[in-house]
Amino acid sequence: MIVTYIITIAVVFLSFLIQGHQSFDALRIAGVKPDLLFIITVYMGYSFGSFAGEVTGFGSGLLHDSLSNSPLGLLTFPKLIIGFVVGMFGRSVLKSTTPTIILLVFVASIIKGIITLILAFIFSEAYISSIIHVIIPEAFYNAILSPMLFFIYDKIYRSELEREGYL
Amino acid sequence: MEFITRHKPIVTFVFCSLFCIISLSIQGGGFTLSFEGIISGVVSPFQKLYNGIHSGTSKLWAGFSELDRVREELKFTQQKLQSFEAMDENINQIKLENERLRNLLEMKEKLRYNSLPAFVIAKDPDNWYRTVVINRGSNDGVDVDMPVVGYHNGEKGVVGKIAEIRGSVSKIEPVISPEIKIGVKVGEGGYAGLLSGYAHNSNLCKIDYVSRAAQIKFGDVVVTSGLAGDFPAGLVVGTVVQTEMHELNPYQRVIVKPIIDFDVLEDVFVIKKSPDRGLFDTFEEVK
Repeated sequence: MIVTYIITIAVVFLSFLIQGHQSFDALRIAGVKPDLLFIITVYMGYSFGSFAGEVTGFGSGLLHDSLSNSPLGLLTFPKLIIGFVVGMFGRSVLKSTTPTIILLVFVASIIKGIITLILAFIFSEAYISSIIHVIIPEAFYNAILSPMLFFIYDKIYRSELEREGYL
Repeated sequence: MEFITRHKPIVTFVFCSLFCIISLSIQGGGFTLSFEGIISGVVSPFQKLYNGIHSGTSKLWAGFSELDRVREELKFTQQKLQSFEAMDENINQIKLENERLRNLLEMKEKLRYNSLPAFVIAKDPDNWYRTVVINRGSNDGVDVDMPVVGYHNGEKGVVGKIAEIRGSVSKIEPVISPEIKIGVKVGEGGYAGLLSGYAHNSNLCKIDYVSRAAQIKFGDVVVTSGLAGDFPAGLVVGTVVQTEMHELNPYQRVIVKPIIDFDVLEDVFVIKKSPDRGLFDTFEEVK
């Protein structure tokens, strides 16, 4: 289990460095870029349950907030919730097929976006147009990339998944 | 204890949720800032390292692939230099004449500020904010609220202002951020207004409090007025793309496209100018 934690910390940190680098902006489509940290949060919840999902979401959210001008917690709380909720279903309920993964990440991204919007409305500044300009495009982008990233993560966590009996 | 062990996910969820809610509720407080500071302090060396490796590899590759292009550019630049050297004499004469005329008119000479070059080492990983992190901090003499400019396609434009400083890194609040407020002048008439970001996710800015009578057209240049105290006057921010008038609003709103393309921004200059304290002192006295 310790190995899983170390690998997760390494993956989250690497995703954060890649996502925070200026060259990552070249991947912007329709003004948005994919959220790699969110996808790893969903993956951890989906594969290893609520605890792994929420801890990954909390950690990656704190990293997000530390770099952003957002109030601390604004980008953390939605990831924490999604990590926890996705972990309640997991692989035992949702079979690991490409359409399932795409749908799961798409819906999770939409919910994350709506929670962020509500929090921004309460604690910062929010615009309803963000639904069209941020939430939906980002959800599509995350969903399209998710099968490939889930495949890579499956390879990384192969031994853990075999132990759990999913592979 | 057994309860905690048995319901570990729920207990962790409740604890983390409380942390987020409390942190959001006391946003702007010392606790929030210091906590972010700790994370930022841990993360920034890795960001610098990653940035160094990435730019080193890019430069090495560029060295192989772009040698021919650089040779051509060198030739072209040398030709240009020749023509500029010829122009230099004329410029000196014009400067002297300008100075003489200014003295005649008893005009104050425009202030010049030192600037500090910096690299962008990280950008906001999220789509909701557009924070930019640079490799200069308090160790380099950078201070909060100092203006930052950059170049795009050879044009100089306002990037934003320093929002937060650490030892060797700083966060910039860009002009496209809704939280920023800059006093600007629009168009040939120099109509005054207050510029801020259009929305968190937008690449545009908006100018509020512009008189309805102001005649503003597409392509008009927006420059800093220097009135709010942070920015020196005359820095170009962007160009007008649209104007909006609503019946209930006594002012018109102007939508501006910044000169700087924040998706490709890499090099910036921090203008070493602190806010005019006189203005703030006046406010304090009024209070």
